[in-house]
Amino acid sequence: MLTRFGNWLDERMGWRAVWEAIFLRKVPKVNWFYTLGSATLFVAVNQAVTGILLTIYYVPTPDHAYDSVQYITTQVAGGWLIRGLHHWGASVMVVLVVLHMLRVIIYGAYKYPREVTWMTGVVLLLVVIGFGFTGYLLPWDQKSYWATTVGTRIAGVVPFLGDWILRIMRGGNDLSAVTLARFFGAHVWVLPATLLLLVGTHLFLVIRNGISEIPKREARKQ
Amino acid sequence: MEHSEKKEISRREFMKYTIAALGGLIGLGYGIPAIGYVVAPALAKSQAQQWIQLGAVSKVELGTPTLFKVNISRQTGWIVNQEELSVYVLTENGRDFVAMSNVCTHLGCRIRWIADQGQYYCPCHNGVYDKQGNVVSGPPPRPLDKYQTKVENDQLFILEG
Ligand code: HEM
Ligand code: FES
Repeated sequence: MLTRFGNWLDERMGWRAVWEAIFLRKVPKVNWFYTLGSATLFVAVNQAVTGILLTIYYVPTPDHAYDSVQYITTQVAGGWLIRGLHHWGASVMVVLVVLHMLRVIIYGAYKYPREVTWMTGVVLLLVVIGFGFTGYLLPWDQKSYWATTVGTRIAGVVPFLGDWILRIMRGGNDLSAVTLARFFGAHVWVLPATLLLLVGTHLFLVIRNGISEIPKREARKQ
Repeated sequence: MEHSEKKEISRREFMKYTIAALGGLIGLGYGIPAIGYVVAPALAKSQAQQWIQLGAVSKVELGTPTLFKVNISRQTGWIVNQEELSVYVLTENGRDFVAMSNVCTHLGCRIRWIADQGQYYCPCHNGVYDKQGNVVSGPPPRPLDKYQTKVENDQLFILEG
């Protein structure tokens, strides 16, 4: 029954070819370090699911942000869990991306023909950091307020352009409702869209180019 | 012959079922809390009932509905709102009071007392109620909602919530 439905769909969509390209592709004999990218992807999905759920209650304005977050954690059933998963997932994500990148560096997996995979990876790292930076402000408590004050100041020390960068990030001279709103917009629209595009390209390339082998010591010359 | 009785499952099949089972568990692990999280506010019990002071009993006119407006604060989500509650109070003898909500029982518009006609009128779909709040014409399915009342020290109270 299920197979017949699968066939029916395949005849019209060709989904089996896609499935096979993704899950039945040939891979060299690799080790657990090769799962770090998939682990990152798993946490990324966790962030998307819990993040979407948080927006059901969260309100990105100075007069509601803090209270709405408190409401989530203390009043809504399972709210502590959803927020906790998103909060800790953010840190786990950064750790995993870095470990994944280290694996790629140590195994030299960035070399031809995988340079573009590497470059999309570099931007993905920046995107992940951007998520962390913009997300940190959203609870709008003392910690997030001052962390963002400091963070935007740091951006402000860039030679010549610094002051401009700081003002663009803050949407003015000071941290304000404008800052909170634009950080929220970046966090839930700009960065996710970028992430989706880049992860799509990244994974397409991983599949297209195949996964690199574990580098081997050259056979000692006799 | 013995051999074919035993149902062998290949390594690949085993992995397939394990992954499907794990995926299902993870899906449930997210799905169940997510459903609770989304529906929680809808299931929250409404606030405790409270007696609300409308005003002096002497303000209620004999034989015609008198409108009382009081401000109450109501918690919705994380916000405490100031809301105006409008209540029509009717007494025929100065001792027994009927307090009626001004919310139309059809779809929730606000009704008002039309003194000339001696009827309540709802502008949304022409619902009409008589002085006691019974439906005269139009779509409202039931009479106006009534509050429980009490009188203390010549002050009129209604039970809200
Ligand atoms: C959102 C963040 C990221 C996700 C979801 C992700 C996901 C993946 C996945 C699933 C693979 C398959 C192989 C494996 O898991 O090791 C992979 C491979 C690869 N990734 Fe990432 N990645 C991310 C970030 C990065 C970063 C920051 C870099 C480096 C700057 C990078 C560079 C690479 C390269 C070069 C490969 C090919 C490795 C090979 O063929 O052996 N990725 N990525
Ligand atoms: S809401 Fe009053 S008649 Fe429809």
